[in-house]
Amino acid sequence: MMRATGLVRLALWSIAGPVLVLLYGPLAVAIFFSFFKFRSNQVQWDSFSFDAYEKLTQNENVVGALGNTLLVGVSAVAAALVFGTLLAFYYHGSQGRARTWLQLIIYLPFVMPPILTGLALLIFFRQIDFPRSLVTVVIGHTVFVLALVYRNILARLQTLSRSLVEASLDLGASRWQTFRYVLLPNLATAVLASAVLAFALSFDETLITLLVTGTSNTLPLWLWSLMRLGFTPDINALVTLILIGTTGICLFAVRYLTVPQAR
Amino acid sequence: MSPARYSTQRLVLTAVVWLPPLVFILLPLLLFLAQSFLRVQGTEVVYEPTLANYVRFFTDPAFLPTFWLSVVLAMEVAAMAVIFAYPIAYFLASLDSRVKYAMALAFVVPLLMSYIIKIYAIRSLIGGNGFVNRILLSLGVIDTPITLFSLNRNAVLLTLTLLLIPYAILPIFVALEKIPRSLLEASADLGASAWQTFRGVVLPLTLQGIVIGASFTFVLALGDFVTPQMVGGIEGFTFGRIIYSQFGFGNNWPFGAALSVILLAVVLVAIIIADRIGRSRFAT
Repeated sequence: MMRATGLVRLALWSIAGPVLVLLYGPLAVAIFFSFFKFRSNQVQWDSFSFDAYEKLTQNENVVGALGNTLLVGVSAVAAALVFGTLLAFYYHGSQGRARTWLQLIIYLPFVMPPILTGLALLIFFRQIDFPRSLVTVVIGHTVFVLALVYRNILARLQTLSRSLVEASLDLGASRWQTFRYVLLPNLATAVLASAVLAFALSFDETLITLLVTGTSNTLPLWLWSLMRLGFTPDINALVTLILIGTTGICLFAVRYLTVPQAR
Repeated sequence: MSPARYSTQRLVLTAVVWLPPLVFILLPLLLFLAQSFLRVQGTEVVYEPTLANYVRFFTDPAFLPTFWLSVVLAMEVAAMAVIFAYPIAYFLASLDSRVKYAMALAFVVPLLMSYIIKIYAIRSLIGGNGFVNRILLSLGVIDTPITLFSLNRNAVLLTLTLLLIPYAILPIFVALEKIPRSLLEASADLGASAWQTFRGVVLPLTLQGIVIGASFTFVLALGDFVTPQMVGGIEGFTFGRIIYSQFGFGNNWPFGAALSVILLAVVLVAIIIADRIGRSRFAT
């Protein structure tokens, strides 16, 4: 643990403080202007209203894009959980170089710039004549979040004692029963935490989505197309709602990440 | 369970775990690499190997300068991110353990917030027609809008640094947290000043964190094509945007693939350099 006193402490604050303001300030401004109007270079303090939010619920595009985003997120997370768990078990239960190569392949989409992952998939889908749609977006998102899910589950798996499994098998449980009643409960929080984080990543994914989507928009893509036009109260209202949503997801994840085992 | 059945199960599991990564990650990358050695004629891709795309990149004066400018920009982003992230990480590590993790979280949570929204929010503040300018104008502080950060390279640099700084804070914070207290006490007991302890003990032990943070921010900044477009205007025509345009208006996929392979090469070089520095004798 470091210690900082006097002038050093002041200097550190004077950097951390402004950066914190810069990180959150722009978002706060967007939230503010979802409630208030800005006219002739003045904030209209008496213009507080929920009008922008009401207009938003009537917008079919928003509702459709939100639906697509949720559908993609849930599907990608489900697929990533299944394959991530299988991969973690495979890696944990095997030896040799092959498993290291497999792990490297899984990590690639996570460490490469997203534009490369997106373009590789785009070319792949065209070569096999697979039309671009929400299905291709789900595949793109799954590939992207797989590394995170795999890593989390493997890390938890490696902390579990071998004797747990051995005891279960000795007591006559089948391999499936051991998985279902011994391993899975122990992995539950890791699975849940990675599911939530993966969902948050998918919810926000823009660069890969932009390349592999067909005609359907997800929320970030729809926002992007709107923002090129300008800064309107509707967008601010949508931004506010998304921020509330993602912050909620984060707090939920943190609860499950910081309380390692809720028994 | 009979050994035969067990090994069949094992075989099935092996196939199930290998197939998706091979088909959806490795195969697309290989096709991608192959595509870069093809060429287009009219709107059709011609399937005969050629180096023309790479030759074009290195000879056509339209590409190399933009490429270098983008690499320099990404380096500046990485440098800015690390320079600001280090004191912040140090600040976090120096806090009382009760507030430490809550504060660390405050600096990392923006990572999980929508990327598009952050770009949009920053743009709405700093642009020539942004809120900062409009409020300063109405207060009479300035007569003409400040254009330092409106649709130019500075705006891209500032926005990317803000977007990516959590990636730099996190590994440095983790590295600082790993330093055993006894090492710092030993250094102080042996008569080192606070600065000497920092320079001789803390900094070398956090070099790896710095390098991870720098390479992560560099890689992400170099590949981004949305941020430069949103806040950069004409000056924000970066390498990422050139690549993206080959798949849109340019409609030259093989050339786009070749440019991406070059991007991938730069990323690999960055990771290798980072790995070397991280393992050098100055780090542990």
